[in-house]
Amino acid sequence: MAALERPGSSAALRIFGALVPLFCGLLGVFIANIPVSILGEAVPPPLLGLVPIYFWCLVRPDLMTPAAALTIGIAEDIASGGPPGLWTLAFVLTYALVARQRDSFAGLSGLVAVVGFGAAASITCASAYFTIAALYWHFPPLAPILSELAMTVLFYVPTVYVAGMIHHRLVGASRSDI
Amino acid sequence: MANARKIARKSNAQLPLVIVIALAIVLVLLGKAQSGLFDQARARVTDWMAPVLVKVRAPVQGFDRFVGSITEIFSVYEQNLKLKEENARLRQWRNVATVLQTRVSRYQTLLHAVPDPKLNAVLAQVIGRASRPFLQTMVLDAGKQHKAMPGQAVLDARGMIGRIYLTGQRTSWVILLTDLNSRIPVTIASAAGGSGNIQAMMTGDNTAMPVLDIVSRLTTLHSGDQVVSSGDGGLLPAGLPIGTVVEDGSGGWRVALLADPASSQDVEILNFSQPPEALPPGAQLPAEAAGLKPMVTPPSPVAVAPPPPKPVVVARPAALPPDAQSEETAE
Repeated sequence: MAALERPGSSAALRIFGALVPLFCGLLGVFIANIPVSILGEAVPPPLLGLVPIYFWCLVRPDLMTPAAALTIGIAEDIASGGPPGLWTLAFVLTYALVARQRDSFAGLSGLVAVVGFGAAASITCASAYFTIAALYWHFPPLAPILSELAMTVLFYVPTVYVAGMIHHRLVGASRSDI
Repeated sequence: MANARKIARKSNAQLPLVIVIALAIVLVLLGKAQSGLFDQARARVTDWMAPVLVKVRAPVQGFDRFVGSITEIFSVYEQNLKLKEENARLRQWRNVATVLQTRVSRYQTLLHAVPDPKLNAVLAQVIGRASRPFLQTMVLDAGKQHKAMPGQAVLDARGMIGRIYLTGQRTSWVILLTDLNSRIPVTIASAAGGSGNIQAMMTGDNTAMPVLDIVSRLTTLHSGDQVVSSGDGGLLPAGLPIGTVVEDGSGGWRVALLADPASSQDVEILNFSQPPEALPPGAQLPAEAAGLKPMVTPPSPVAVAPPPPKPVVVARPAALPPDAQSEETAE
């Protein structure tokens, strides 16, 4: 189960392994957008769909492709109910940035890795904010988007831990093994 | 280094990033031109999730109530005193309302007034809420099957919460009054009873209190003035309670909403459709009533003359400017 790259593993399993990052992104979007909150809607839900994009863009960019980031963004747009294309553009721009600076981001560890993700999430939130400002022709309040950013960074550690576990068990080869 | 090159080669084999970014930008522009691009998908997903939401909602509500009770238990005594005082005041108001109601009925009888049409309402339960940075909405368990339609007003026991903007078969999405996309024409009744009713546009900006754009700059507002729906545009009934005017500290005015969408569980969806206004008979048109002939354009020198234009009567509320009405109609 662990190493799908091993000779002898079936093609179906290999395809499944390749689709795991996309499925994880879609699952993150689904979970984050369940319209039920135990905090009484005091804070916005985190962008859980962004974590798989960031994680697999660093460790297996061949599995988290731009098209996969686009698909996860469209799913976020559909599920969140906002203006169409808002999160799609934000996710794709973040993907482009992370893909460009992959070596810098992948070299981070510990708390600095969280800061690195925070920088990527800031790009996402800033893109969404300025897209909304352009669409509505005025700047919306900053507090809600900053709360969203804070929640996303706060949920990064547990989410990336789960993504790492899924990666090791289902996807297999890490970046250094390619 | 060699690994990095391999990664780059593999990534280059995928759909180029530039095309994907261009697609995303096109999607944003398409979404701006046609805001209901994903509406069908959203409605289907919500319909599909509705039974799960109902089941998940129950324990979460229980948890919310438990947390709420912990904080409120320390203020029970104060709340009790406050409620007694409020109750006494409301009893006085009930007496006043009863007297006024009797007087209005008498006047209606004297004037042979046509009573306001009764509004049908559908009772719905809130099965989900979403407070996103750019969207504040709630999901109801009533949809097309229950005759819920986009544009209908949603109220709780205290006042208006928002309007339905998307309906599935069994669920509906409500756009809250506080949402960035919400624009409602309202009437402000002066609490001091001085300058009569003031027309305004209430616009959400994702804060708890929507902004008031006063149509007439000559009027002044006072904190505590009552805000109700004006009914302009014919989408909402007039007189729905919305909130009270408060000053925002920077010279502007906002509305403290009566309803509390965060705690509302059961809401009403008002089925309101204004009948099209009938044209008055010719004799009642202002020009003819004044003894003037209707204006006829001089015949055109062209051989084949177009038919003379018919007199057109535009029924528009005088207080609402054309741009405000067009915004309301567009919504």
